[in-house]
Amino acid sequence: MAKVKVATVWLEGCAGCHMSFLDIDEAIIDLANVVEFTRTPITDIKEFPPVDVGIVEGSVGNTEEEETLKHLRANCKILMAWGDCACFGGVCAMRSSFDKEEVLKRGYIETESTYEGKIPGPPGVPALLDKVKPVNHVVKVDCFVPGCPPEPKAILYALNELLASRIPVLPSEMMRFD
Amino acid sequence: MKEITLTIDGKQVKGKEGDTVLAVCQANGIDLPTLCHLEGLSDVGACRLCVVEIERERRPVPACTYPARDGLVVQTQNEKLEKYRRLILELMFTERNHLCAQCVASGDCELQKLAYRYQMDNTRYPYSWPALPVDSVNNYLVIDHNRCILCGRCIRTCDEIVGVHTLDFGYRGWKDMVVADLNQPLGESSCISCGACFQACPTGAIFSKVSAYKGKPSESEELISVCPICGIGCEIKAFVKNNMLVRIDSPDLTKHQGLLCYKGRFAPLNQAHVRIKTPLVRNARGKLESCSLSEAIDIVAKKLSELKIRHGSSSIAGVASSQASSEALQAFKEFITGTVGSKLVDSLDGDDYRAVIKGISNFQDKADLGTEAPLEEILKADCVLLAGANPFESHPVAGTYIVRAVRQNKAKLIVLDPIQNAFSYYTTVWLKPKKGKETLALNSLTKAIIENRFIKDSAQTKKTAASLNDVNVKRGAEEAGINDDELLDAAEMLGKSQHSVVIYGEGILQQRNPKLITALLNLAAISGSQSGGKPRIISLKPKGNSCGAWDMGIANASESVINNLAQNGVKALYLLLADDYVEAHELQWLPKGIEFMVVQSSYLSPVVQKANVVLPSPTWTEIGGNYTTLDGMAKSVSRLIRPPEGIRADRETINEISKHFKK
Repeated sequence: MAKVKVATVWLEGCAGCHMSFLDIDEAIIDLANVVEFTRTPITDIKEFPPVDVGIVEGSVGNTEEEETLKHLRANCKILMAWGDCACFGGVCAMRSSFDKEEVLKRGYIETESTYEGKIPGPPGVPALLDKVKPVNHVVKVDCFVPGCPPEPKAILYALNELLASRIPVLPSEMMRFD
Repeated sequence: MKEITLTIDGKQVKGKEGDTVLAVCQANGIDLPTLCHLEGLSDVGACRLCVVEIERERRPVPACTYPARDGLVVQTQNEKLEKYRRLILELMFTERNHLCAQCVASGDCELQKLAYRYQMDNTRYPYSWPALPVDSVNNYLVIDHNRCILCGRCIRTCDEIVGVHTLDFGYRGWKDMVVADLNQPLGESSCISCGACFQACPTGAIFSKVSAYKGKPSESEELISVCPICGIGCEIKAFVKNNMLVRIDSPDLTKHQGLLCYKGRFAPLNQAHVRIKTPLVRNARGKLESCSLSEAIDIVAKKLSELKIRHGSSSIAGVASSQASSEALQAFKEFITGTVGSKLVDSLDGDDYRAVIKGISNFQDKADLGTEAPLEEILKADCVLLAGANPFESHPVAGTYIVRAVRQNKAKLIVLDPIQNAFSYYTTVWLKPKKGKETLALNSLTKAIIENRFIKDSAQTKKTAASLNDVNVKRGAEEAGINDDELLDAAEMLGKSQHSVVIYGEGILQQRNPKLITALLNLAAISGSQSGGKPRIISLKPKGNSCGAWDMGIANASESVINNLAQNGVKALYLLLADDYVEAHELQWLPKGIEFMVVQSSYLSPVVQKANVVLPSPTWTEIGGNYTTLDGMAKSVSRLIRPPEGIRADRETINEISKHFKK
């Protein structure tokens, strides 16, 4: 049987969800027998051919992330969100309570260690969105694995459910938001 | 109450008339999710998580506010209701900031638990991100409005349980938020920092600065004990993790006597003073340096033995703080009076005791502290006289009882105090005598009750009137600086009351005037005679174990030791402070020229600097012990954490000195 093609992307987040995925330990060997990772944050290929499952970590906070996410959605059959940032906005969304310009000023000009700061922007770096959004507020998402980071066993559970052709919904005891 | 029968989820269940549907469900083990409901508070139906379907109701209704009736057919679980509940949770999560990874309450949050239960793995609604303030002005409490779900549990606790009603909703609709008073910062409001709102809060909206990020209560050991700090003796539930106090709660917030105050809830987690962790001995250069416990004990025993041989046992005196446990005080008394053989033993509040006991013996034959009433009497009162006390500072829980009596039971509050206290908002009459004229004011008040026949004549009124023969109400009031009419108003309230309670505190005690105590007792007896029984009087004693110390007779009932140390030619003083941080004004009696002073204390305080030997004490959380509440109840305080290495119980240290002392 052909391997299931999976692409994972890392948007606005800390890579903790991918780390937690690696924490499934020896289960990754069995997984490698049935799954092929075509794209991960390590390969960081910008445009990739269609896959079966797209996995997204992190929230959407700038135009590049929005584009990456839309590209992934367009090129996968099932999209799974990993972690609190992707599911709810998470830590990245702390800035959403403030005005975007205020945040940029604080970060690039007013920080105590900054001398003659300048707010960066396109074309050098992508423009910030007004508010940070969870991925399902930008594209349709099929399943969610919340947690900061999600427990390795929750990630594994969700992957195994998908391999068994079921859309995973985490049972209550696997749910966590921290 | 009439029994009713309902059908819930197809099963016949019984309830009582007057119950809500939620109460019937809970009584029958039917699980319904709730957030704004808290056992013991009124229900308001704010969160809508307990929605149920009821036959012939057009839409789902909250079970917590729906009256149960005979024959009601209720559905608590079905697909539609579960869908609604998850929808409500999603709306709550998107309304403000409920991102758990940034929240102090994560892991102990009721909102989070419900989201897990309903498998809320995403939110479908746009976040509103209102920019709400965080109020951190209070010493102990922070309100983060971004975490608030407007359930109102804090508000109802503040109103119904605490009584002060500092918190309420402000603004309307979308802008609705919890505010203190007229939207003041909590730390500048009428808040008494009791922390009940913190315990009632289901999320991380109200949290404590001294508990935050110390550890999750759910991962801590829970220990039930009693707080011995002020002598009210409130039960506490302590959360301990890695030998550290993480949080102190009330074991039963909304039940009778469930309140705590900032002293019991927060102070033990927040060491405000520098701890003494090893014994200290004054060296040849006159500086205190640390040494081993056995060395320190040797020095103390040797020096005291020497002084006794040279100057006799009465050259040694012992003074204890009544904040110490009964075990420590007992050992201390035995050491000074038994082993050393000196009669000179006293407590820091010994003068208060002598005034109180003399005042009682002037009032009745038996000089018995048991004359006083239990604290709960305040909650039954229809008239309270508060004399020279500011319970919100000294005994905050007693303060809340007074406020509850006034606000909830419509009791009248008469304040007799030359200075304004925090109760002015609740006061019906404020009698403001000139300083030192309190006795005259009280006697005039008592006489006014009798003369104006606000109570029926009896043997007691005749006897009291006779004892106040030389008091003239009009002249007395004038001399005391009190308005005639106000005195009469107060007299009428007290006389006609069915359940009056007289409370006095440090403003009275510090005068050390037995006549003042007698005057209070007379007034309590007269104003309480309407309803028969003994005078309902409560003294707010200065220390946590004052009653225990006084009962034990650590202070002599007639002669002051502390005021006569120099006259008695005392050469050595043993000061047992235990975990009491003693301010300079409590040590004004301390004469110069004490040759040898031992201070046993948990904390570095100015008096420690004068000591020749310093012995470390554990704090009450580290050792526990027996304490007697201000109304005479024996309470056992259990140990919550281990003391720092090498610190032993005060009792053990004293007994060790006793063993080495050469008679």
